[in-house]
Amino acid sequence: MKKIMIIQVCALILVSSSLSLMLVQTDIYDRVQSGIVEVLCLSCLKLEPITNTDFIFETTNGIPHPDFIIENLTKGVIFLHYSEDACSGCDIMYPVIKDLFNIEFGKEEMVYNITNFEDYEIIYYYANLDHTNKIMKNSFSIYDKDDIKGLPMFSIITLGYDKGIIKPYYTTLYGTLNLDNDPDRLDYLKHLLNQSIDIYLQNSEGYNP
Amino acid sequence: MRFQLKRLISQILLFFSANLGALGFRTGFCYPFFYCNSCPAATSACPLRAIEQSVYKGSFYWKLFLFPIIILGFFGVTSGRGVCGWACPIGLLQRLTGKVARRIKKNPKLKKIGQLKIEQYLRYIKYLILVILVIFTTYIIGFMFTDICPIGFLTGTIPTLLLYPSKFVPNPFFWVALTIFILFLILILSIERGWCRYFCPIGAILAPFNKISMLYVSTVNKNVLDKECIHCNACVNVCPMGIDVINMNRDPECILCGKCINVCPKNLIKFERV
Repeated sequence: MKKIMIIQVCALILVSSSLSLMLVQTDIYDRVQSGIVEVLCLSCLKLEPITNTDFIFETTNGIPHPDFIIENLTKGVIFLHYSEDACSGCDIMYPVIKDLFNIEFGKEEMVYNITNFEDYEIIYYYANLDHTNKIMKNSFSIYDKDDIKGLPMFSIITLGYDKGIIKPYYTTLYGTLNLDNDPDRLDYLKHLLNQSIDIYLQNSEGYNP
Repeated sequence: MRFQLKRLISQILLFFSANLGALGFRTGFCYPFFYCNSCPAATSACPLRAIEQSVYKGSFYWKLFLFPIIILGFFGVTSGRGVCGWACPIGLLQRLTGKVARRIKKNPKLKKIGQLKIEQYLRYIKYLILVILVIFTTYIIGFMFTDICPIGFLTGTIPTLLLYPSKFVPNPFFWVALTIFILFLILILSIERGWCRYFCPIGAILAPFNKISMLYVSTVNKNVLDKECIHCNACVNVCPMGIDVINMNRDPECILCGKCINVCPKNLIKFERV
């Protein structure tokens, strides 16, 4: 009887102190909250939003575009690619994106690359939300057009004309784009990129960041 | 009977507290029971999702791996699988389907299957699911249990489709998960607490803690039991986990529902605590 009591007390002290230490000394609480609870893994949900490629000017909650977007828009169309750890949907999309821009990366937390797409410069950003910096994390919610808070997510930002001003003009896609295979996904993204490049070329001369 | 009412109230209250995300209350804890963080109203994270993220494709984030295990360990040390019987929303669901399962159990053919020796070995499936589908395949090839999880389908996919019917469409995992979900429904309608008995990976984490938990169900000492027990088998018949209650000694399957305590005519079974 006494032996089991000693084991129980030791086990209770062990789990209580470990839990307290983890909560006080590590960032695990924030990591779980911001990484698992507040961001949806669309493959876990077994659903994805209906793809809507309409370009819009308004960011989510009217938050201003981040500086890195405003600055990079002078160079070309921006492609933002968000993922997280342990996301099967993200894994499905990696090869498509790598093919699209002819780039290679491994387990990096963030990638910034000025790449070429059909002779036009595209500014490519990749961010793993579980590890990336605050600026990229904030940009995820800014460009979450349909308020899904789900991954994988892709935003294409170009320039549009709105009431006499040239401003960032973007669309956001989620999940596996409601398509069944990689060639279809690649064609779909190519088409959308071509469309955004056309819009960019029409408006870039008047852009004043 | 009043005791079982208290348990029902506890299950209902904890079901609502698991869904406080609907009011914007979201924490960085993991649930100590089975519930999906993809649920539109989820308050916390699924412990299995945290474990999977920690070991995904050869990575190992020890903090994320230990965090859910320590939370489950805390509840395990204090009350063993008590959370399965008193807190888990899937336990509550199976409490509701249990009545159907009990009726089906009376079918002589099914009764025979239930008495087969192999039944006790089927209970090890949940440990295999935990080790193979939650940890091993996630670590080696990136195949995760949560992508096909029937509980995720029930608490995440279905509510999302109901709340936003024109916003979402099935993704490549949907049809596999739907098939498994239908099998899950058949299981819990045909075997009382079938999910908890055979398949729940969180039950597999909690079960060993029954051996050392501070609160547990026990029979009176053997001499008194031998003298007083009338072998009516009421405790065995009422046990939703199919435990041989009279001969149990801190059984890993016991969910502390207390039904055997309520039903024993001689009061030979009781809750014990340190």
